[in-house]
Amino acid sequence: MDVFLQVVVNGLLLGGLFAITSVGLTLIFGIVKVVNFAHGEFLMIGMYATFLISTKLGLHPYAAVAAVVPLLFVLGMLTQKLLIEPLMSARNHDIQIFATVGLSTALINLALLLFGADIATTPAYGLRTAIEIGPIRMLVGQIVMFGVATALVIGLHFFLQRTRSGRGIRAVAQNRAAAQLMGINVSRVYMITFGLGAACVGLAACLVAPLYPTSPGIGTYFVLTAFVVVVLGGLGSIGGAFLGAMIIGLIDSLSGFYIGSDMREVAVFGVFLLILILRPQGLFGGRLKLSHVS
Amino acid sequence: MKLTNVLKMTAAAGAILGAQAAYADVTFGALYPFSGQLALLGEESARGLELAVDEINASGGVQGEQIVLERGDAVDNNQAIGEARRLISREGVKAIFGSYSSSRSIAASQVAELSGIPYFELGAVADEVTGRGLQYLFRVNPTAEDMADTIINMIVDKVAPAAGKAPGDLKIGIIYEDSSYGTSVSGHEQRLGAAAGLNIVTSLAYPASTVDMSSIVLDLKQREIDVVLQTSYQNDSVLFLQQSHEAGFAPLAIIGGGGGYSTQPTADAVGHDIIDGVLNADFTQYVVNKEFTPGIDDFLAAYQEKYGTEPRSGHSLTNYVGAMAVLQSLNEADGFDADTIIEAVSAIDIPEGTTAAGYGVKFGENNQNERARMMGLQWQDGKLVTVYPDDAAAAELRSRN
Repeated sequence: MDVFLQVVVNGLLLGGLFAITSVGLTLIFGIVKVVNFAHGEFLMIGMYATFLISTKLGLHPYAAVAAVVPLLFVLGMLTQKLLIEPLMSARNHDIQIFATVGLSTALINLALLLFGADIATTPAYGLRTAIEIGPIRMLVGQIVMFGVATALVIGLHFFLQRTRSGRGIRAVAQNRAAAQLMGINVSRVYMITFGLGAACVGLAACLVAPLYPTSPGIGTYFVLTAFVVVVLGGLGSIGGAFLGAMIIGLIDSLSGFYIGSDMREVAVFGVFLLILILRPQGLFGGRLKLSHVS
Repeated sequence: MKLTNVLKMTAAAGAILGAQAAYADVTFGALYPFSGQLALLGEESARGLELAVDEINASGGVQGEQIVLERGDAVDNNQAIGEARRLISREGVKAIFGSYSSSRSIAASQVAELSGIPYFELGAVADEVTGRGLQYLFRVNPTAEDMADTIINMIVDKVAPAAGKAPGDLKIGIIYEDSSYGTSVSGHEQRLGAAAGLNIVTSLAYPASTVDMSSIVLDLKQREIDVVLQTSYQNDSVLFLQQSHEAGFAPLAIIGGGGGYSTQPTADAVGHDIIDGVLNADFTQYVVNKEFTPGIDDFLAAYQEKYGTEPRSGHSLTNYVGAMAVLQSLNEADGFDADTIIEAVSAIDIPEGTTAAGYGVKFGENNQNERARMMGLQWQDGKLVTVYPDDAAAAELRSRN
């Protein structure tokens, strides 16, 4: 029983990691409708920035949030403005995908050039300390990550539902042409959304960096799961992505222990396919209308 | 008028000198991944070859000719093939040395074989490199099988006695990343382990890009595994060692296979106190019994002088030793056509304990160096120390608990 509890807790904490790394992707995917293959590399950039700030300036990695989040926000806005927007009017929208794939490759190789292929370790500042609650062991950093992921999801939900900017973003997501006719500056909304999505990745990076060694390829470790989580959650539903992340985390952990570590991906993607067959719109799909006239 | 004359003469002299230099040189290819994901250790490997060439050139070259190395960048398998073609047809190399990565080596050596150009593998470990019956491919370095062999023998000879147990009483768990590297090493571990009478309780594969190994750690902990064998890259090595520590899983021994466990950044990432006592099998490293590895100090001095740092791993040493053995044998031959080269290297017979890497060189079946072997290493106080076999050991194996 103790072991089962530990496996479940491990799964939920892993879900927290998946959630925080995929929330930003959900925003960009659901609203700008761009499949951002450079998502993982944004995470990588954030992790290197956290690494540099905490090693060169001797600051706690969490303090790096103050610099990394704005940095990624600007980076996201620039990506939208300089890379995606010029391609928005292209006849074939797949071109945007190629552009983000290119960006991803370029960023990985830039990091290889700057930092080399070796791993960079952000100091953990006690975040890797295990605390025991009864028979369960958890890391301080994992608990913080889970808490922040939850808060971020709730915060974004309220932002999108209750604020004027949030309503504007949702309007653009629902119908780009109509939103434009209502006087919403679509170009600006896209830039802000892309920036917000990237900023979420920046926040994730500060929390992930003390727990995982940083390397130029680290983004590719997270990006596939992030896409699964986003699709499972229903393309653009923040709450859905959170739930999707928890499901994937639990399946990963349970199947890894009870079936075998080599079967983990089979289990994860098997359940993923099954859910898509039964609910093609994803778990929470439909909440946020995705159809748009462009 | 005067000036043009001078220019003309300089140009003529240059042309003559250049022609003479070209005539008196022999060109070999250096095919390694110099850019991309594998660049760090690809470059490190190539440095070993360069140092060997410098040393040979300084002592008069081979057959009186200076060696010129032409670099080829094997950034991926396709480019490895393209660069091998370029080296052979455009640069006219007499032989190719490489290549750190097994997949690059397998791809490029096919090209060399078809062109009838000798290919000397100095660092790739996969079985398939020499397992294909190629005539012109020779491998000097130890292989995946040698790695498993060292690991299993180290358990029987060292780990079990240190724990005061019979080898067959230890519960062994094998975990490995599921690409061809991990699969082949772990396959040899299972086979050789069973032959040595070890009790292998479980064998678990996982993808190298995993971000969580807690379920594997829990599984091993539940089974009360005494010795964990992991074949892994860097990220998954760090992840496993950290998560084991955090889950309170402390087996008698953890033994890694190769790269992921050998580098200083891995030790720094995991923490020197946590990695202390962890074992590994890999190429010869630098904290070793120097009577068994004559010439290692000269190698280190030459490395420091040329590159201004210490070697980042044992790859340079392994490539250096392999290249030296091959180039010295070519000095005895007459000419550089493929069959002459092959005859010369086939006759190499260097006994153990006389090279800077410790092992000897003699090509056996499939042109594999049958004297090559891996060393057993242990992290002791933040340093990777050779502890096995006894004649190479620089320190005693320490028990972990």
